[in-house]
Amino acid sequence: MKDVRGNVVRRQLLADHGLEVGEVRSICGYLISSDTPTEAIEARSDDLFVDPIIEHGLTNRLALASDLFPTAPDAVVTIGFKPGVTDNPGKAALDGYTTLFPEDSDAAIATYITYVFYDLPPTCSVDWLASTLHNGLIERALVADAEACSSGAWPELAFPTPPAQTFTPPKTVDLELDDDALITLSEQGLLALNLTEMKAIRDHYRRPEVQDARRAEGLPPNAPTDVELECLAQTWSEHCKHKIFASKIHHVDTETGEDTVIDSIFKTHIMKPTHDMQEDVDWLLSVFHDNSGVIAWDDTYSVCMKAETHNSPSALDPYGGAMTGIVGVNRDILGTGLGARPIANTDVFCFGPPNWSGELPDNLFHPSRVLRGVHAGVRVGGNESGIPTVNGAIVFDDRYIGKPLVYCGTVGIMPRHLPDGRPSHIKTPEANDIVYMVGGRVGYDGIHGATFSSLELTEESPSSAVQIGDPITQKKMLDMLLEARDAGLISCITDNGAGGLSSSIGEMAEYTNGCEIDLATVPLKQAGLSPWEILVSESQERMTVAVQPGDQAAFEALAVLHEVEATPVARFTSSGQFHVKHGEDTVALLPIEFLHDGVPQLELEAEWVRPQPAEFVPPAHADHADLLLRMLARPNIASKEAWVRQYDHEVIAQTAIKPFVGVARDGPGDAGVIAPVHGDPHGLVISCGIAPRYSDLDAGAMAAASIDEAVRNAVCVGLDVDKMAGLDNFCWPDPIESAKTPDGRFKLAQLVRANRELERVCRAYRLPCVSGKDSMKNDYGQGENKISIPPTLLFSLFGDHPDVRFTATSDFKEAGDRIYLVGTSHDELGASEMAFMLTESGEAAGIGGRVPLLPHPEQNLAMYRQLATAIQRGAVRTAHDCSEGGVAVAVAEMCIGGRLGANVDLDGTGNGDLWGRLWGESLGRFIVAVSPEHEVTFKELMRGHRITVLGEVLDNGALHVTDGEDDVLHLEVDAMVEAWQATLALGGVHHA
Amino acid sequence: MRDDVRVAVLYGFGINCDHETKAVFELVGATAERVHVNELVNGNIDLAAYDIMAVPGGFSFGDHLGSGRLLGNRLRFTLRDSLKAFVEAKKPIIGICNGFQVLVKTGLLPGPDGHEPDFLQRASLTLNDSGRYEDRWVTLEFDPDSPCIWTKGMVRMECPVRHGEGKFVMPHEADIAALEAGHRVAVRYVDSTDPVGMHRTDPLPYPVSPNGSMHNIAGVCDASGLVFGLMPHPEAIYAAWLHPEHTGGHAPAGHGDALEGWEGEGLQLFRNAVDHVRAQR
Repeated sequence: MKDVRGNVVRRQLLADHGLEVGEVRSICGYLISSDTPTEAIEARSDDLFVDPIIEHGLTNRLALASDLFPTAPDAVVTIGFKPGVTDNPGKAALDGYTTLFPEDSDAAIATYITYVFYDLPPTCSVDWLASTLHNGLIERALVADAEACSSGAWPELAFPTPPAQTFTPPKTVDLELDDDALITLSEQGLLALNLTEMKAIRDHYRRPEVQDARRAEGLPPNAPTDVELECLAQTWSEHCKHKIFASKIHHVDTETGEDTVIDSIFKTHIMKPTHDMQEDVDWLLSVFHDNSGVIAWDDTYSVCMKAETHNSPSALDPYGGAMTGIVGVNRDILGTGLGARPIANTDVFCFGPPNWSGELPDNLFHPSRVLRGVHAGVRVGGNESGIPTVNGAIVFDDRYIGKPLVYCGTVGIMPRHLPDGRPSHIKTPEANDIVYMVGGRVGYDGIHGATFSSLELTEESPSSAVQIGDPITQKKMLDMLLEARDAGLISCITDNGAGGLSSSIGEMAEYTNGCEIDLATVPLKQAGLSPWEILVSESQERMTVAVQPGDQAAFEALAVLHEVEATPVARFTSSGQFHVKHGEDTVALLPIEFLHDGVPQLELEAEWVRPQPAEFVPPAHADHADLLLRMLARPNIASKEAWVRQYDHEVIAQTAIKPFVGVARDGPGDAGVIAPVHGDPHGLVISCGIAPRYSDLDAGAMAAASIDEAVRNAVCVGLDVDKMAGLDNFCWPDPIESAKTPDGRFKLAQLVRANRELERVCRAYRLPCVSGKDSMKNDYGQGENKISIPPTLLFSLFGDHPDVRFTATSDFKEAGDRIYLVGTSHDELGASEMAFMLTESGEAAGIGGRVPLLPHPEQNLAMYRQLATAIQRGAVRTAHDCSEGGVAVAVAEMCIGGRLGANVDLDGTGNGDLWGRLWGESLGRFIVAVSPEHEVTFKELMRGHRITVLGEVLDNGALHVTDGEDDVLHLEVDAMVEAWQATLALGGVHHA
Repeated sequence: MRDDVRVAVLYGFGINCDHETKAVFELVGATAERVHVNELVNGNIDLAAYDIMAVPGGFSFGDHLGSGRLLGNRLRFTLRDSLKAFVEAKKPIIGICNGFQVLVKTGLLPGPDGHEPDFLQRASLTLNDSGRYEDRWVTLEFDPDSPCIWTKGMVRMECPVRHGEGKFVMPHEADIAALEAGHRVAVRYVDSTDPVGMHRTDPLPYPVSPNGSMHNIAGVCDASGLVFGLMPHPEAIYAAWLHPEHTGGHAPAGHGDALEGWEGEGLQLFRNAVDHVRAQR
């Protein structure tokens, strides 16, 4: 038998570090803490721990010390989880153990893995090996070097027993302090509250009516308990309250002389346009206020979508951080309305270059390790949940070394009405409903995630902010809750994410204006958690669900059937108070209004000064064929197939356009298309757009380009442009001016600009933003070593597709098809992929110049509607978005997908020079191919819009580009395939 | 005699292809129900009330301790009698992907030479040689002489595999030879450019064989031909619009006409079982 686990490690060491190891073998270990006699367990070993067909098993003896390993290896590394970290294989093993030994109720099982190395290069130290194979934040490793191996001193991990937590009763926190002391208190407690906020809290406790109410409950009248302070810190965190988007901004534009005040970017530029559009259409069912935005899809079903980021956790533990990102956003869908079913995931990542060879700041992982870990986390989270990943992107830039961006999105579906007649997108809680915590238990893991993500990453970032997801616990919960929904048992449901119970129950309590929680009833992973920890812990896989008292028995019976833990922990009231008890004692009493609306509005300064990087001037002489091969190999353009193919993209049997298309199923897909109702070709399109580097010139142009790209990608597959909705996910560096952020005014002005363009383009496209999120502290370090990410907007789109039998894909289909450019090319090479490539190589001085703009979006929309119509009528079967790398890269990708050649003439495609027409990234463009019999229909439909014949698809296996009489480039398709596929075809993926 | 054909589609614990598996049986005229494994264990639902049982794909128990192992144990140790009765009543069973892994780990597949289930594991499905979970399309070829009632009349089919542990192994070459002699290797991975009927037993290169299975085995049946399991997903090509090349007009036609000219190749497999049940009445 091959040792595949060992081979994966061997290949990965070679791929990431150029290290050649002769052989790696693997041993899976189970540590069992149990009263059952060892002989009894050993007798059943083949029934559970060992596959008798392919594995050897030993009980109470080390495999390394047995004749399974006759020769001494060069090194051994054993890796297990740290105490308290989620051990999914261990949990599963315990479940299987309980099937065999139902009486042994006190057993516990932990897992480890041992890697055994032979023919290790002598320069390679075993400690280095261990450091590349485990993450010290969540795992422990023991090693044996060559000497230890030859003497048989094998590593043996002890059972990971978490240290006992001491229960600390609530403490009173004195806030009658001077300003410096208040700030110190906030910083030392990881509260992430500023001085104004600390003072607002202090002032609350000075109010006589507050003091009276507190006395009546036996609380300290004039100071908060630690439970209250932690609860406020979570609820008022940037993560939960989006204080920057809600702030009052004094904005100065040094170019135009404008000097204005904006009262909330969110309300002004995002919410208002969507609410205006809501008056014109009947399909915007629920926007902004729920866990995701809901639109009516047809008379029977509605669909919803949400995207989140999980950047800080992914920086610390790429695997666990990304996995909790994807399963977390799945719960947002389950927590929408009365519960929606997740049916599709999207993943967009921004990383440092995977081949980075420069310095790495302390405490940061190499980008290739971040890529592997994040990819593995999202893969396991999505695949094990049975949700297809239908769309995504990976973007590379040096600055994402400081903070990777991990965007995870999920689309959901729900019947518009439940069997009991209630509209499913409206929650119906009432006072006296019982509030259940469902799914996982509360542990020490996941404390302070929301406040932590509202701070910059430092070397002291806490390990408790990192968790590993448990997709199977969540899947069981999902099965159960959707059945409870259909049985009419749910009156209100929401996710436990940031802020834990304090946020989930706190937010739902707004509906009835009050709740009473008993923290003593909350099931814990380990005893001894203090009340504030129970209240704010963000332990995963939990939903908060309200049930009417008469439905409790049925709800609990469903939980038993599905083996899901469901515990009543609170009830809704109308007292106006967020009332928290621990047993008989009140430990927190906060007015609902103060909790949700008491946070003072930030007042911030923004000043726009246009960045002026050195102009991009193309070299006088260039070999465009060579440039095209280099561009195809750029990580931003190269095929991501090796990674994306590891996501299940077609579970549920609905994916009509997959991430890869064409004869060899390896050409790039522009957008995902699903037909979620079995037997019915009615479809849904899911796409995204992201263009962060345009922020180097103009963050407004960046936002416009992202939205346009998302729409174009969706148009390529035949979207109904009259029924589409968007999601805005902003990731920004800290834009608040301070000693550590001296350029805060500029970064905030970038945010203003991006949002103004978002409003302008979305209004023109009749594209409502129905949900969004922002992550505003994406920086690493301070001072000269500070790394700030480029301001990044991910724009996700979901929209209607009338019939998935009529779609288009990017691959050229038939020789003889005519190729058209739809749209116009301008001289827009500023911040283009070509400008970056030639600047990095020293062939150009800078990336400055004209960034792609969108001056007349109304005209674009009219053109998009016609092209989409041509696709829906079957007149166009081949369409591809033209973006990074311009016409050259787009046409090359179409040749690759169809393994067909083409003749392309750029003459007449725009008024700029050859560089602009070949490599420019002007917006609003597509390349389409039309079969001769459909050409008349196509031209008829596109009348009044700019289309230009580029050439013809050929079966000669080569791409030939000319500019009128001039030859521009000639390349074999096979050479393009190789260049495009090699860069990111990295070896096996591993996570211990 | 009732006319409907009732299908129990098992779910729970991380099975996740239950909805589409139910849907494909209904498209071919059966009455399919999703049945939680625990409803059978606690006696609320009697497996004997069904004519066909399907164990769909998914990640039961996260594939920990080996794919299909833990759910297989639940079936083997808590549903043994009703499963045995179901098989002895000559009712068809299918396991797809994780469901196949479950049936192999319970010992129902490939099963003993006789027709009485003994719940002994004889084969395994283990990590792909690539070390990777992948979703990719493969070409399958069916053994025309197989006793398998599910694959009757099928020649070739394109459909996706979506697994990390699909490499079919048995302890000895002789074990495989015995299976082949009984035509119980009902379906294999083939090179689409090879002529039909070219029986290759040497392992095909990756990714033609996505996992390195012995003799390119994609699925096997028991001695009766009623219990069948395969790693690829026939339900994922129930409609031609799910084929990767449908936009180019190159999706192979299905066998029947359940979807107005858009039936996919995979539906026939489920129709075969439903027809078989009807024919036995």
